[in-house]
Formats: sequence, structure tokens, C-alpha cells
Amino acid sequence: MSEGLQIHGPLFSLLSLRLAWRNLWRHSRRTWLTAGAMIFSNVLLIFMISLQLGSYDMMINNTLRAFSGHIQVQAEGYKENQRMRRSIASILPLTERVRAALPGAAVSARAAAFALVSSEERSFGAQLIGVQPAREPGVSTLPGLISTGRYLEDPGAAEIVIGSVMARNLKVGLGDEITLLGSGRDGSFAAGVVTVVGIYRSGMADMDRSLAQLPFGYFQETFFMQGHGHAIVVALDGLEQVAPAMSTLRPLLRDGLVLLDWDALNPGLKQAIQADMSSAWLMYGVLILLVAFSVLNTQLMSVMERTREFGVVSALGVRPSRLAMLVLLETALMALIGLAIGLFLGWLVALYFNTAGLSYPGMEEAAARFNLPDRIYPSVSPLSMLLGPVVVFGFCLLAAIYPAARLLRLRPVEAMRAA
Amino acid sequence: MSGSLPVAALSRLAWRNLWRNYRRTLIMLLAIALGAWAMIFMTALMRGMVDQMVEDGIRALPGHVQVHHPLYRDDPSIENSMSEPGAAFAAAMNSPAVTGWTARLRVPAMISSERENRGLMLLGVDPDGEVAVGFEKDSIVEGRWLERIDDSGIVVGKKMLERLETRLGKRVVLMSQDPDNEIADRGFRIVGVFEGTLAAQEEAHVYAGRTTVQRMLNADGEVSEIAVAGRDYRDVGELEALVIEATAGKDVTVRTWKQLDSYLDAMLGVMDGFVLVWMVVIFLALSFGLVNTLMMAVFERIREIGLMQALGMKPSAILYQILLESLFLLALGLLLGNVLAVASVYPIRGGVDLSVVAEGMEMFGASAMLYPALKTDDMILANAVVIVLGILTSLIPAWRASRYRPVEAIAKT
Amino acid sequence: MAEIKCKDLSKIYRQGESEVRALDHLSLEIEPGSFLCLSGPSGSGKTTLLNVIGGLDTPDSGEIWIDGLRVDQMNKGDLADLRLRHIGFVFQAYNLIPVLSARENVEFVMQVQGVPARERRRKAMDILHEVDLDGMENRRPAELSGGQQQRVAVARAIVSRPKLVLADEPTANLDSVSARQLMELFRELNTHHGVTFLISTHDERVMRYARRLIRMQDGRIIGDEPQAGAGG
Repeated sequence: MSEGLQIHGPLFSLLSLRLAWRNLWRHSRRTWLTAGAMIFSNVLLIFMISLQLGSYDMMINNTLRAFSGHIQVQAEGYKENQRMRRSIASILPLTERVRAALPGAAVSARAAAFALVSSEERSFGAQLIGVQPAREPGVSTLPGLISTGRYLEDPGAAEIVIGSVMARNLKVGLGDEITLLGSGRDGSFAAGVVTVVGIYRSGMADMDRSLAQLPFGYFQETFFMQGHGHAIVVALDGLEQVAPAMSTLRPLLRDGLVLLDWDALNPGLKQAIQADMSSAWLMYGVLILLVAFSVLNTQLMSVMERTREFGVVSALGVRPSRLAMLVLLETALMALIGLAIGLFLGWLVALYFNTAGLSYPGMEEAAARFNLPDRIYPSVSPLSMLLGPVVVFGFCLLAAIYPAARLLRLRPVEAMRAA
Repeated sequence: MSGSLPVAALSRLAWRNLWRNYRRTLIMLLAIALGAWAMIFMTALMRGMVDQMVEDGIRALPGHVQVHHPLYRDDPSIENSMSEPGAAFAAAMNSPAVTGWTARLRVPAMISSERENRGLMLLGVDPDGEVAVGFEKDSIVEGRWLERIDDSGIVVGKKMLERLETRLGKRVVLMSQDPDNEIADRGFRIVGVFEGTLAAQEEAHVYAGRTTVQRMLNADGEVSEIAVAGRDYRDVGELEALVIEATAGKDVTVRTWKQLDSYLDAMLGVMDGFVLVWMVVIFLALSFGLVNTLMMAVFERIREIGLMQALGMKPSAILYQILLESLFLLALGLLLGNVLAVASVYPIRGGVDLSVVAEGMEMFGASAMLYPALKTDDMILANAVVIVLGILTSLIPAWRASRYRPVEAIAKT
Repeated sequence: MAEIKCKDLSKIYRQGESEVRALDHLSLEIEPGSFLCLSGPSGSGKTTLLNVIGGLDTPDSGEIWIDGLRVDQMNKGDLADLRLRHIGFVFQAYNLIPVLSARENVEFVMQVQGVPARERRRKAMDILHEVDLDGMENRRPAELSGGQQQRVAVARAIVSRPKLVLADEPTANLDSVSARQLMELFRELNTHHGVTFLISTHDERVMRYARRLIRMQDGRIIGDEPQAGAGG
């Protein structure tokens, strides 16, 4: 092979490039139709992939920022079964150490209990979270979603912030008192009376119905926590910071404590994305295969109708491998046209929806379920732009292998005699 | 008929022409078959998933049509209850459209074991009626289902049992409110454990005998909800009308499951739209190759086409001939694609196990088992999309072929 | 019997910068039952004249009459009809439909005319016998020699007994034996069935069969003389 190269010059010469380009335009309509198939699927893939990546980003961020944070420190076994006693002793000093170790991150301690909350008229079971009023806004968007009243301020006050659905169910408003009944960490009877100072509206029905927040200090007293808490929540700027932060935090942990990343905290989230991604790729695969078939057909025809011509050139002493390479080069040029135009149009489409947002009938219902706003904004990144077109490009080249390989078996005399 | 050919003769010409370049035809056939397969197979999977979602959603709280106190949905307390339906309602429900109905008490409650407390919905049910509207006794994995309407035991979900760190046979306490806003509580023995297709269901509901719950809450003769089940959840119009008529004059609200769970209804609608979009997208991807193949076929035969016209064949007959060729190609590809689709759905008709992403599927509201739903309507739609759009697309090369002037066509070599 | 009148026909082709006068104010009358040869060098306008008479092409100006019908003003459909019912064509080569057998090629025109299958078949077999192709009925064109292919083409041209056969260089790709057989066949059809023949050629063997020989150059008639038409 390499000897042949030396004698006959490089396979990719400027000449063969020019030849390939001219050959492409001998049947310009056919070339445009084949490139059209590529452009069509490239635009579609760019649109779909940027839409998917955009909505995954939003799903993850909205879910993580809403409540769980990117990383939590918990007692071993607490995530599986949230028992009061599976707690972190001396949680506040540990929280300070975590905060010191991660200067850029927001860190906050929480404690949680399940209790019966009663107004004068109604009683419901609710999840009560003891939070650090000054720190919580850094790790959760909930404090910013207060629609009436204010968020907690004093760490020791007998105050509560509840969801809008809970407020409606309990028939309470700002300034009303709520009675809490539950059990403390030691299993003893725990009770308290708190004043509603704020009502939040997150749009997530479950949260708005069953989650309420109290100041950490008051929670400690009421549920006999004795310095214990249930979670240290860490919010970072992005998913890429999770792994380094995990390794920074690991040495700080005492026995019996675990570090959980966002995936462990929201097990459905990553799987939902995986399920969505894999079913989508099954569909993209079909689309890409169809384009590959189109290329296979075009290149096979283009090789077969030039049998005579190829016979003549090979009789003149051009190696079959060079002819095969020429066909691959033609395919690559055609695929490049498809890539370039597809990329440009796809980028325009994605860019448009990136600013205008996208909505379709039925989306509102789906969005509410996945913590999404009711418009999706596709992400415009090198990944979302290039992933689809590059795969299409690769498959187009693969499809040209068979037509190109046919040339390796070319016999000049027979070929020249072909009609 | 002058200037044209009988369909049989045109078909013969078209068929033979189709196989002149068998490689090209085979590649195109494969592409069409792949497209048709993808249309039908993927649609079957998507339909299967959404059907399953809807069915699971309905099974979670059976009753395709439900009747409530007008304020119940906003404030599901015992205060917003209705009196038990009487004989007149029972008689009205004696219709072929109704497969079962029941009335339940459904209030928020707190359940406490020795170790843990949780909030959930307490359902006071008529055990037989509940089964009649769709509760599956098979979902009881331990112990038994309730036996009488005044059964003193309760049936809890498996997950809830774990959360409460208790087990079958143990006692738990349920607390709720009575109509006077007083806390009412009662101890129950756990007599059965049920498993839901979605884990969330196991934590959401606990079942007890209706009269037992009525007594506990001082609400004799009161129910929160009447649930009526029909034959087909997709078509609830008749059922709804029947229930509306049977409850006429009473201060109640009748809703179908579509209104009760707008997510599921929206998903059904989104799916219909998506199926069509998917099919058209696949067709478009195919159409480039189709036009290309026909263009090439026409281009190679310009001389022949000119000859036929010189011999007196009208342009329209040339057009028909190319269209027939396309039709054969499409029909063969579709046949292959349909067979492939049915053949690939058959081995997985028992369901595809997606438990690796079970929690993710649950986020969509779907269960971990995916049962493909191959529907005649979808198959017809797929085939119609390919044939109709395919013929329309083929009009371009066919029309071009018919426009060649004979003398120019013959002059080409 | 076909009577052809051409009056003042002109046709100019443009090839890039240059103009080719394919027909230059050409007038011609052809009696019914003629056996006429057009000869001349390539580009003298022979093929164009045949094409405009057969309605495959239209002149830029002038009139063409066949049996009192104005051919140059007919629409596409009527022209197709005219060719179908009254004119038979024989071209140089490659003029069979490759996917049809010899018999099917002959039947093609009758099929287009709507002749019933049984009659079609009988006529096709008769005519193939007449052109001496017994036993070749089911062969496809690719399986026939050049002479055999041309005889199939003639069979197809005459099977529905047209009044006029237009043949454009019919012997161009034939050996001399095949060429003579073809011309004998033409002459017999002319004398026994009264079919008018209009043949373009520059083959001396063919011209010897003509009873009228027209010489063309640059789209004009430069010679028009009767001949014995003895052939041989």
C-alpha cells in the first residue's frame, strides 16, 4: 500500500479532490436530493437533541435547585428509610466544616420530621423541615417562591412557612396558628404551636401540599433533636462540580455518615433522562439508517453507471484502491455539504427556539410533572449542535464502503465492455 | 382507451422495469421496509407505554367516572361528603354500559405504627364493590383483601409497611378528622398488604371497611366518592351521561378520569399527535431516496419513454406507468415492513422489562414493564401515510418523465 | 393510402452560437403508395423532415398535411393518436422496449389502441411470421441480433397496417444480408398492401429500392428524381 502511495502520489491529492467535486455535479439533482436527506435529518436531529438537552438541564436544575441540592450528607440508611433517629450528631459544627471546605458552594443544615399539622378546622399529615433561615435560600429556590408573607428569619422563632395547597386545605392564612403533633427524636410526644408567616407556591403539587419549613432552632427544641439533624445540603454552580466536591468532602465524614450525589438523591431523574435518551436514539437511529440507505443507493448507482469510465482509467494504470478512495471522497464531500447546510439551518432553528421557547399542546401537564416551566428552551451548545450531524456523517461514509469496495474487484476489460 | 394501455399491461411494464436494476430496487425496498417497521413498531411501543400509564393511573383509583361533593376536590375532608347513593342510583347503574360501581369514603389521615408516622388517604370501601370497579385481588401479596363492608382490618401498601417498620398482623393507629373537626382515631390490625404497579400508589392509600370508617369518623351513611367503571376507558361519554342523569338534582359534581387526571389525558392527546409526526418524519426521510430512485429510473429510460411516445402512447400513460412502478415499490416495501413489525412485536408481546430504569419510568407515570400495543388503526395510518405521500412524491419524477418531448428523448443516447 | 403535402417548412436549431438550418423553406408532395428515399449527408435535415411529418417535432413555420389533416397544428394528444393509428415508425437502433419480449413489443401498439388480447396475439404471431421471426417470439431484445431486432421493429411498425411508415436510417446498424431482407420486406409491404414508405438513408443499397429518390442538403431539396426501384 505505502509503496503504491509513493509511486502514484497521495490518495488524497488536490487533483482527486477536484475530480470528486466535479463528479458530484454530473448529476446535480441526485446529489442535492441525497444531501437533502442529510440536511433534513441533521436539522431534525439538531432540533431534537438541543431540545432534549435543554429540557434535561432544566429538569435537573429545577429539581436540584428546588430542594435536594447537588450533594447531601446524611446518616447511613436515612435515605432509604427516613427515621428520626438516623441522624447526624452535632450537625451545625459539621456544617461549618463543610462550608469551609467548599468556599464557592452554598451549604445548609436541615432536620426533618413527619407530623400532624392542624388548624382550627383541619388536620393533615405533613413533612416538616427545620432549616437555617439565613442559609436555606442558597440551597433551595423554595424561599424565593413565597407568594404571600415572608420567609423565615429568626432561627429560634415559632414560625412556619407552608405550601399554597396546604394553606388551602388547612384553611389558614398569614398570622394564623397551626398546631404540630408528632414524635421527637427520642420517640417521646412532640407538640408545638407555630404562626404562619409565609405561603409559597412552587407549582409542584406534592410539595405545595405536604411540605412545610420551620426555623432550625425551633425545630431542635420541639422535636428534642439535641444538636442532631438529618441532612447537610450542598448546592453547587453546576453538575460538573459535583465530583470534585464529593472528593473534597469525603475526608470530613465521620463513620456512619454518607455522601449522596444528586443522582442518588433523585434516583428517578437520571433514569428518566436515560429512558428518554435511549428511546430517542432508537428513533434517531432509524432516521440515520434511512439517510445511509439513500447514500448507499446513490453511490452504488454512481459507481455502476461509471463502470465503463472506471474501466478506462484503470486500464490507463490507476489503482482500484484509488478509485475506491475517489468514491469515498465524493461521499465525504456530499456528506460535508449535508453537514454544513444542516448545521447552519439547525443552528438557526435551535437559536430561534432558544430565545422564543417552545410549547406544544399537552406540554403544560407534562411540564408540571417534570418540574419544568411550560416553555422549553433548547440548549445551543457544541454538543447539541454537532452530535447528530457527526453521527449522520459517519454513517454516510460507512454506507459508501460497499460501492467503493466493488471497485476493488473491477476488471478493466469487462468494465470497458459494459453498456 | 386510445393512447393509453390497460392497467394490466401498464402494470407489467412497471413491474419489469422495477427489476431492471434490482440492486437499487432492493436497497429502496429495504429502506421502505425499515421505515414502515419503525413507524409501526415504535408506535406500538409508545402506545403501549401510554396505555399502560393510563391504565395504571386508572387502576390506582378505579372508576372511569366519579361523583363528588362540589367542594371535595379542593378540600378533600369529611365535611365535603355526600350521602350514600340510594336505590334509584343503583337502578340507574343497572345498565350494560356500567361494568361496576361503588361508593367510598376517602379522607386524608395520618397512620402511626409504634415507630413511625405517615400521611396518606384513608379509603373506607365496600370490598366487593371495589373489586367490581377494578381493584385487583391479585395485587394482595400478603394476608387477605377486606372481606366485609364492616371489616375491622386494614390493607396497606407494601412500601408503606416498610416505612412504618411494621408487618402483617400488627396494629396501627389511623387519625383523621370527624365532621366536627375533632380528631378521631382508631386502631386497626393489618390484615393484608398490596403491591401497586407504581411504588407511589403503595404509599398513597390504605383500605378499610366503609362502615368501620364511617363509625370512626361519626359519619354514618356518608361517602366522599362514587366511582363507576365502564367497559372502555377511552370512551367514557355514554357513562358520563348516564351518571349525570342518575345524579340529576343532587348537589354533586360528575367528572371523568380525563378531568380528574389531566396529565394522563394530555399524554393520550400528545401521543396521537406524536404518532402522526413520527410517521411523517420517517416518510420525509424516505422520500428523498424515493424521488432519487425514480428520477434515476426515469433518467436511464429517457430514450424508451420517447420511443413509447413516438409509438403513440400518451404522456398520461407514461405518468401512470411511473406511478405504478412507485406503487409496486411502496407496496412491496410496506408488506415487508408490516411483516417485520408484527414479527418483532410478537416475541415481546409478554412485555419488555425496563426495571433498570424503573424509577425513571415512574417519573413519567409509567411502570417498569412495557407492553407493546399493536393497533390496527396505527398500522392503517402508517400504510396510508406511506402510500398516499409516496404517490404524491412520485408525481414529481413521473410528471417530469411525461413531459419529455419524444424527439428530444430519442435523440439522447 | 396517404397523401403528404409539405409547404414551405422551416426549422432552425441553435447549437451554442451557431444556427443549423435543418429545414429551409422546404416544400414536397408525396403521392399515396409512394416508396420514397431521402438521402443526403448528416445534418442535411432528413431526420428532422421525418420527425415533423410524424408529428414528433414541430416546424418553425410552414404547413404539413397528411390526407387533408393539418399535422403541424395538432395538439399532443391528437398527434399521439395520429401516430398510433396511421403512422408506423422504424428507427436506427435501440428502438425496442427492453423489458418486453419480441411478441410483446409488437403487441404494444395494439395494446395502446385497445385491440382485444386474442386478436392482438394472432396478429402479432402472423406479422412475426411474415418478418421471418418464428420461434423468436418470447425473446427479449437483448437476446436478438441487430437484424432480428430491426425486423421486430418493422413488425411493430406495420402490424396495425398504417398508411405511412417513416423509417430513419433503418439499416444503419445491419449487415448487408439483413439490410437486403429488410428492404425486400418493405417493398413487399408497399406493393401488396399499399403502404407509403418514407425512408431516410445514406445507404446506397437502400436507395436502389426507392422509386423516388430525394437528395437533401442544408435543409433543402437539391434533387428529386424517379427511379426504377428494382432493388437488388
